[in-house]
Amino acid sequence: MIYEKNRPLPEELNNLSDELFAPTGSETASDEAFKTEPVGFYRDALNRLRKSKVSVASFWIIVVIILLALIVPEITGYSYTQQSVKGKNLPPKIPYLEKLGVCDGTQVLTNRKKSSLDDPKRFPEGSVVEILKEYDVNGVAVVDVRVDAYAYAGVPEGEYHWFGTDYLGRDLLTRLFRGARISLLIAFISVVTNVIIGVIYGSIAGYYGGKIDMFLTHFAEVLDGLPYIVVTILFMILFGSGMFSIILALTVTGWIGTARLTRAQFYRFKGREYVLAARTLGVPDRKLIFRHILPNTVGPLITRAMIAIPGAIFSESFLAYIGLGIKPPEPSIGTLLSVGQDVLLQYPTQTLFPAVLISVLMIAFNLFSNGLRDAMDPTRRGEDV
Amino acid sequence: MAEHDNILEVRNLCQHFTTGRGRHRMTVKAVDDVSFDVRRAETFGLVGESGCGKTTTGRTIIRLYDPTSGTVHFGGREISGPMTAEKRRYLTDNIAMIFQDPIESLNPRMTIEEIVGEGLRMRGVKDKNELHRQVIEMLYKVGLTEEHATRYPHEFSGGQRQRVGIARAMIIRPQMIIADEPVSALDVSIQAQVINLLNDLKAEMGLTILFIAHNLSVVKYFSDRIGVMYYGKMMEVARSEDLYAKPLHPYTRALLSAIPEPNPITERHRKRIDYVPERDHDYSVEKPSMVEVEPDHFVYCSPSELREIRRQLG
Amino acid sequence: MAVNPNETILSVEDLTISFKAYGGMVRAVRGVSFDLKRGETVAIVGESGSGKSVSIKSIMGILPANAVVEGGRVMYDGMDLTKVSEEEMHKIRGHRIGLVFQDPMSALNPIMKVGKQITEVLRHKKMDKAAADARALELMKAVGIPDAEKRFNQYPFQFSGGMRQRIVIAIALAGDPEILICDEPTTALDVTVQAKILDLINQIKEERNLSVIFITHDLGVVAHMADRVNVMYAGKIVETGTAEEIFFEPAHPYTWALLSSVPDLQTRERLASIPGTPPNMIFPPKGDAFAARNRYALKIDFEKEPPYFRLSDTHLAATWLLHPKAPKVEMPEILKERIKRMKEAMADG
Repeated sequence: MIYEKNRPLPEELNNLSDELFAPTGSETASDEAFKTEPVGFYRDALNRLRKSKVSVASFWIIVVIILLALIVPEITGYSYTQQSVKGKNLPPKIPYLEKLGVCDGTQVLTNRKKSSLDDPKRFPEGSVVEILKEYDVNGVAVVDVRVDAYAYAGVPEGEYHWFGTDYLGRDLLTRLFRGARISLLIAFISVVTNVIIGVIYGSIAGYYGGKIDMFLTHFAEVLDGLPYIVVTILFMILFGSGMFSIILALTVTGWIGTARLTRAQFYRFKGREYVLAARTLGVPDRKLIFRHILPNTVGPLITRAMIAIPGAIFSESFLAYIGLGIKPPEPSIGTLLSVGQDVLLQYPTQTLFPAVLISVLMIAFNLFSNGLRDAMDPTRRGEDV
Repeated sequence: MAEHDNILEVRNLCQHFTTGRGRHRMTVKAVDDVSFDVRRAETFGLVGESGCGKTTTGRTIIRLYDPTSGTVHFGGREISGPMTAEKRRYLTDNIAMIFQDPIESLNPRMTIEEIVGEGLRMRGVKDKNELHRQVIEMLYKVGLTEEHATRYPHEFSGGQRQRVGIARAMIIRPQMIIADEPVSALDVSIQAQVINLLNDLKAEMGLTILFIAHNLSVVKYFSDRIGVMYYGKMMEVARSEDLYAKPLHPYTRALLSAIPEPNPITERHRKRIDYVPERDHDYSVEKPSMVEVEPDHFVYCSPSELREIRRQLG
Repeated sequence: MAVNPNETILSVEDLTISFKAYGGMVRAVRGVSFDLKRGETVAIVGESGSGKSVSIKSIMGILPANAVVEGGRVMYDGMDLTKVSEEEMHKIRGHRIGLVFQDPMSALNPIMKVGKQITEVLRHKKMDKAAADARALELMKAVGIPDAEKRFNQYPFQFSGGMRQRIVIAIALAGDPEILICDEPTTALDVTVQAKILDLINQIKEERNLSVIFITHDLGVVAHMADRVNVMYAGKIVETGTAEEIFFEPAHPYTWALLSSVPDLQTRERLASIPGTPPNMIFPPKGDAFAARNRYALKIDFEKEPPYFRLSDTHLAATWLLHPKAPKVEMPEILKERIKRMKEAMADG
C-alpha cells in the first residue's frame, strides 16, 4: 500500500483517531527484559540430551546393564565358581520360555546307535524328546535325536541354567554378569585414571607451551610408540595376571589421547579474549587453568571418556581373548568369549550371550557419548529446545 | 614532550615474533621501534589496518606479551622489563583492557556477576554482599540491571556483552583503559551506545583511554590525539584535528582518502590516494626517523622529506 | 550509457521468507519489494538480522534448507526465480547473475589454481581451452591483478584478501552476467583495500553496463556506490529512495537513527545511539517493528503497521510520522547539522 503524501488520504487512514498519533517514544528505551530463566551450561546440555531419544534409550540400556551386573550374580542361586561334573556344557533353559520351544534345554545329538536309545544308562528315561532322522551307516541303524540335555546329563529336575553352563558346568548367566561387572569395573577405573593423568599432563603441556610442551609431547610420543602387547605381557610377568595388571596395561598408553585432547583444548582456549581479559585483571595461572580454561574443555573430555569406556571394555576382551586376561576362575566378558569360541560349533550359545552383551554395551555407550557430544557442543549453546 | 602530564610513555618499543626453527626461522616485526606518549585523562587513538601492529602494541603495554626491547613507563614507573609480582600488581591495578569480540571475550561458563566481580575477588573483596553490591552498581553504570547478573553471556546481544566487558574492566577503577577495537564487531546502531558509554565513563571517572581501532572516523570522533601505524611502525602522531586537517605522511593521506563518507554527491567523485612505500619514499640513502615538525605533530620521515614538509607548512 | 535507462531488469515483489527454527518460524523477510533497473546500483542497507542477505539469497536460489519462501516472487526475464528448478537456476547463476560474497576465501576452492577456477565457468559455456585461458587472463587484468600470467597458476592462499576478492569478481564476471550481486564484499577488508575494490566494482559496472545489487551495513559505502537505496529493518524495507533522498532528506526515524549513530570526520556532538536491540523475529512485534526503539514513536506505531507514504516519484517511507495527523517532527539535530555541513561543503567546492 502506497499513499501519496500530499493528496487526500483514503478513508481508512483519514478516519484514524487523533489520539492514536500521540507521541509515546521515550528518550531511553531499556534493554528487553529476559523472558526465560537463566540456564547454566550443564542444565542446558542436559535439556538437549533429554530431547534426543537415542541418547535417552542408550542411557537406560547402560543403567539396566549396570544394575543387572550388580544384581544378577547374587540372585541366580549359583556362584560363579560352582562347578558341576554332570552339568557340563548345558544349553540354555529358561522357565516359561521353555514351553514355547526356545531355551528349553534341548539339544540335538547326531549319529547315535538306535539301539542305545533303549539303554537307560546312556539315555535316562524321558531324555529323548524327538527322533529327527533314522538312517543306515554300514548296516547299523543310526538316529539323529533331540534330547532334553538336562535329563540326559542327569541333572536333577527343576534345575535351570538360563544361559546354560560352560565346560566345567558353571552357570553362564552368573558368570556373564559377574564378567560384565569385572569388565565395567576395569573400564571405569582405567578410564578415570586415564582422564586424571591425561588432563594434568595435557594442561601443563598446553598452558605453558614452549620447551615444556615440547618435552612432554615427545615423551608421550615415545611412550605411545611402545608395543602395547609386549608391555602388557611384561606387566603380567611382573604383577601376575590380575585386574591390576590389566588396568595398568590399559593406562600405560591410554591417557595419551586424553592428554593430547586437553593440550589441544588449552591451545585453543588460552589465547581466547576472555582468558586474556582475566590475565589483564591479574588472575593467577592456577585460577586461569581451573576457572577459565578447564571448564570449557569439560564437554569434549566427558564425551571422550564416555567413548573410551567401550574402548576399554573391548581392549580388555581382546587381551582376554589372546590369553592375557584376568586370572581364572574370575570371569570377564573377554574370557567368556574366548572360552566359548573353543566350542563355538557345538555350543554356539556359550559365545552368543557374551557377544550380544558386549555389542549392546558398546553400541549403547557409543550412541550415548555421541548424544552427549551434541548436547555439550558449545556452538549449540542456548538453542531453544 | 616533557612539559605534558604523561601517564604512559612508550619508548622504542619492539615486539618481534619468531616462528619456526633453524632454516625456517622467521622474525615478524609486529611492532618496530614505536614511541609515543599518552597524557593523563586524554583519549589516544591508535589507528591502522590489519597487521599494522596496533593490537600487539596494546597487548605488549599490558604485558600479555613480553616486549622484545624498549621501555614502557606508566605513571612514572617502568612496567616493561623483568616481571615481578609487585610490578604485575601495579600494572593490573592501574590498566585494564576491553576486547574486540563480544562473544569471545566473555567466559561462557561464568555468570555476568562472576565475570564482572572477578577483578574485585582478585583484589581481596571477600564479602559476598559487598561484592554483589559493587557488581550491581557497575552493571547499572553500563546500562544493565540487577536482573542481568545471574545470566550467562550467550543470552546477551553483542552490544550488551560489550558493556559487560566494559563493566569488568571498570570495576577495578583503573587509571587507564586499553580499548582494543571495542566497537568494530558491533552493528552500527549499537556502536554509538558503546562509544557514548565510554565517553560518559571517561568524563565521570577521569579515565585515560588508549583506543585501538581501524575505523578512522570513529577514532577521529573519539580521540584527542591519534597515532597512525603501518606495518609495525608509527607513521604520524598528531592532535586529531591536525591529523585530519593537514595529514603529513602519505600513508595518513591515503588512509583518510579511503574513508567512505555518508555523502553520495562528494563520494561519487572522490579521488583516492594510493600509498606505495617504494614509490613514495627513497630511504636507501637517508634513514627516516620520528620528527616533531610542529608542536604536537610528529611524522616519520627522512631529512629531505622533512625539508619538503617544512616548506609546505611555510 | 544505458540502452534503455528505465528498463526494469529484475523485480522483487512482496517477498516473504521465514526460517524454521527452534521455537517457531523466524520471520526474516516480510513483504519486500524493489526493482532493479538496467545499469543502476541498488543498495540494501541494514543491520545484521534485518533480512538483507536473505532476500538476496532467494534471488540466487541459495537459501538454506530451513528457509521457506512463504509468498511473493522474484521476476527475472519472465521467470519467477523462487520457483524455477535447480537446473534452470544453475544456468542463471554465474552466467546471467554473478555473485560476490563477503568472505573471498570461502568463495574460492582452496586447492584449485585461480586461473582454473575462472576458466571453469567459461568452459561451461562450451569455450575451448585456449580461448578460455585467454579470456581468463583478460578478466584477471580487467579486475586489476598485476602479473596476471604468473598469478594464473597460483592458489588462493597465495593472494592477499583484496586480491582474492578481485579473483572472486573475475569469476563472477566470467559468465558475462548482466546483474552483479555483492553481499558485503568489502566488510572483511581494510579501508584502503575496500576503496580499491569499490572503485573496481564501479568501473566494471560502467564498462559492462551491469546492474548491481549491493548489500552492506556501511552507509559510507552506500554513499559511494548506490544510485538508489533501500533501508531494511526487521525484514521490511522502511525507506527507499535515491541516494540523495536517503542521505539529504531521510524521512524514516530508523534512517535518521542509522545516519546519526555513526560519526563522520567532522562529528563532534554526542552520537545519537539507538537504544535497545532489534526485536526477536520469531515474535514480530505488533505494529511498527522499530517502535520500541524509536524516540519519535506514536501510539499508533504500537498498534498498526505503517503503510508507505510517497514523498517523491522515487522516495517512499513507511512511518506514521508522515500521516497528516501526526505531530510535526524534525530529524535529530546532529543529522540536520551534518546535512547542512555537507551541502555547504558542496557549495564551496
